[in-house]
Amino acid sequence: MISEYVEVLAAKLGFDRSLSRRVRQEVEDHLREAVAVDPAGSALEAERRAIARFGDPLDIAAQFATLSLARQTRRAGVAFILVILGIFAAMRTRIAWYALRQWALSDDMRAVGGVVASIDAYAFWLSLVVGVAGWAYISICRTPATFQPSYHKQLHRFFVLSTVAMGGLIASVISDGVLTSLRLFGTQVSSDFFIPVFSMAIEIAGASVLVFRIRRIRHRVASIAGLVKA
Amino acid sequence: MVSEGMEGEILKGHLDMIVLAALSGGPAHGYAVIEEIKRKSGQAFDLPEGTIYPALHRLEQAGLLASRWVTADSGRRRRVYALTRRGIRALDQQRATWEQFSDAIGGLLGGTRPSKNPA
Repeated sequence: MISEYVEVLAAKLGFDRSLSRRVRQEVEDHLREAVAVDPAGSALEAERRAIARFGDPLDIAAQFATLSLARQTRRAGVAFILVILGIFAAMRTRIAWYALRQWALSDDMRAVGGVVASIDAYAFWLSLVVGVAGWAYISICRTPATFQPSYHKQLHRFFVLSTVAMGGLIASVISDGVLTSLRLFGTQVSSDFFIPVFSMAIEIAGASVLVFRIRRIRHRVASIAGLVKA
Repeated sequence: MVSEGMEGEILKGHLDMIVLAALSGGPAHGYAVIEEIKRKSGQAFDLPEGTIYPALHRLEQAGLLASRWVTADSGRRRRVYALTRRGIRALDQQRATWEQFSDAIGGLLGGTRPSKNPA
């Protein structure tokens, strides 16, 4: 009976494997101890009582799910800031490399390059400011004991800020890609290409990781909302 | 029993303080925390035992508790929780707030508390 109960609880927390494993061990230890000290003669009756005292696995899973979500959104906020800083470092390294190699844009590409560089700068700063705002917002939000509608609204606001920041970041990375292509276009392939190509790869990888993380959290919010409704 | 309706809700509202207070005697695992709450409250609090675990995890996330796995005499692995320095400070703060609140409510209900601003 205890194994079945613990199985149900762990399955409900399946979206967070490490939490699911930990909760399973803690709850099983709790229930086994409760049975061991129960004066009831029948082990089955003692198990039934221990489970009844422990509560509805759905309720408990919903409380843990809220905690897991809060932890993940805060981590995503921190990851966002780190990725933005990483992308900034990659951009600065590439620009420093161009200066070192005296690698200027050709005259006919200069006008286009200027427009794209402006878009890049605005998009990047938009992303940074909105990303920091999103991270600060979700950091100061108090995690409720259960998944309440007010918390759902807070998460929604965080996702709106994240989406705007992600949009800015993606526009910035695309602009960087265009600027890098303009410089590399028509130049003979050499070892000088390594820094621009590698720094672009870092930018694309960073932005992709963020998109993946935010999407995953969105899916979890949906599944947790379903768990709470159930 | 303080377990149903509004009384149960009041209890849930103070669950974090109750858990911190139960751990003020030293590190303990979840089951022992519940036993300590029952013992210290004179069996007055009878929440579903499962609600203690999300509270323990939440307090750990907030940095008020630290935890580690140990192996019990039974051979089972169990998670033992302990107050951190921040947890001790938070408990002191909550205790002071509670005493003020309790004093004020006691004054209102009993009418024995002297008013600070007599007319």
